[in-house]
Amino acid sequence: MSVGVNFHARHHLGVNLLALLARAILGGALLVAGALKAFHPYQAAAAVRAYELLPVSVANPVGYALPWIEIGVGLILILGLYIRLGALLGAGMMLIFIIGVGSAWARGLSIDCGCFGGGGAVDPSKTAYASEIARDVLFFACGAFLLWRPGTRWSLDSLGSGRITLDLYEEESETDEKER
Amino acid sequence: MAEESKESRSQARLAAAAERKALAEAAAKKARKSRVLVSLAVISPILLVVIVGVSISLVKSKVDSTVAAPSVASKVDGYGLVFNDTAKPQIDVWEDFQCPACKTFEDANGAQVRELAQNGKARVVYHALSFLGAESVILANASACSADEGKFLDFHDYLFKNQKPENSGYWGLSRLTAAGVAVGLNQSTFEACVKSGKYAKWVENIAADGAKSNVNQTPTVLINGKEIDRNAGAYIDTALFKKALADAGVK
Repeated sequence: MSVGVNFHARHHLGVNLLALLARAILGGALLVAGALKAFHPYQAAAAVRAYELLPVSVANPVGYALPWIEIGVGLILILGLYIRLGALLGAGMMLIFIIGVGSAWARGLSIDCGCFGGGGAVDPSKTAYASEIARDVLFFACGAFLLWRPGTRWSLDSLGSGRITLDLYEEESETDEKER
Repeated sequence: MAEESKESRSQARLAAAAERKALAEAAAKKARKSRVLVSLAVISPILLVVIVGVSISLVKSKVDSTVAAPSVASKVDGYGLVFNDTAKPQIDVWEDFQCPACKTFEDANGAQVRELAQNGKARVVYHALSFLGAESVILANASACSADEGKFLDFHDYLFKNQKPENSGYWGLSRLTAAGVAVGLNQSTFEACVKSGKYAKWVENIAADGAKSNVNQTPTVLINGKEIDRNAGAYIDTALFKKALADAGVK
């Protein structure tokens, strides 16, 4: 994985631009989704209950907490601090959402995903599982890309040593330097 | 001589290399330190926002038994407003005054439920949910104010008959007061109750209880704890709803 060493470097403008775009899309989506739900906790909880995957006593706290966690991860990605951690959390959440929506679809439920507020039962003609999953797959792809190549330009990760730090690359890059 | 100078040159090189290494290490250390500071300065407020947000949501979702509630509100019924405490069967109506589907239910079946409540033919419990935003809370609070004067059913019907688009700002204090007066409420008492949001916390209790009771949408209507058949159309079909009531022993 020595490819990671020079990612902050000016040579990789394209990768850094893609990484910035991925951060803006995934981070922005999480931030907006969280902000739209954070002050409607009862609706958010109802949206989680509507999946019928968790017992009510678990679904409610998840519904109350999730919007705030989305805001936190969104901020991490947008500011670009611990990008890979944010990407891991963001991609992980998207994976869970994809599984949740897919399972609702498979079980023949008629619900809105409640991704950006709303949620709960809807008329069967108004379900939009395919587009909801497609959207989440795009967000997941952003997270996966950032895990692979976080870039660091235009991010707080580029501060300090100027190198990606506090993640897997740091030790590898030092080894590479010694080898040289 | 030649050997010696070679040796001292290589020593000098080593010393220079060591110095460079020390400088680089010091710089790296400094950089790491500044990064830790930046990380702390950025991560702490983010963590704080997340933790405070989650905590507030969790605390708010606890039913608070000390809040002001209208006298017909029943704790064991999740603070719903109870009509005919000893009658049977029990009918629970979960509605949001702003929800269009609730208006559809009311238009089709509201009169039947009202008749049962008024004539003691069933234990009817109204739960005013407030999913749809600030105006839902305002209207639910106002409905509790109307219950104080025994006019809940009239006011409830008035609000559904005159439902406006969600959170349009239509239900300001003056229009709401006028609505209360229209159903015969005491103007000053009602206005004060609406203005102060006297039962706003009670509205929260109902929302929290709705979450615990797994009420995921409005309207939700239960007869003896069992939801009427949504897929069959019992919410919008007057005859189907009547049959469901009859099956539960309503005469």
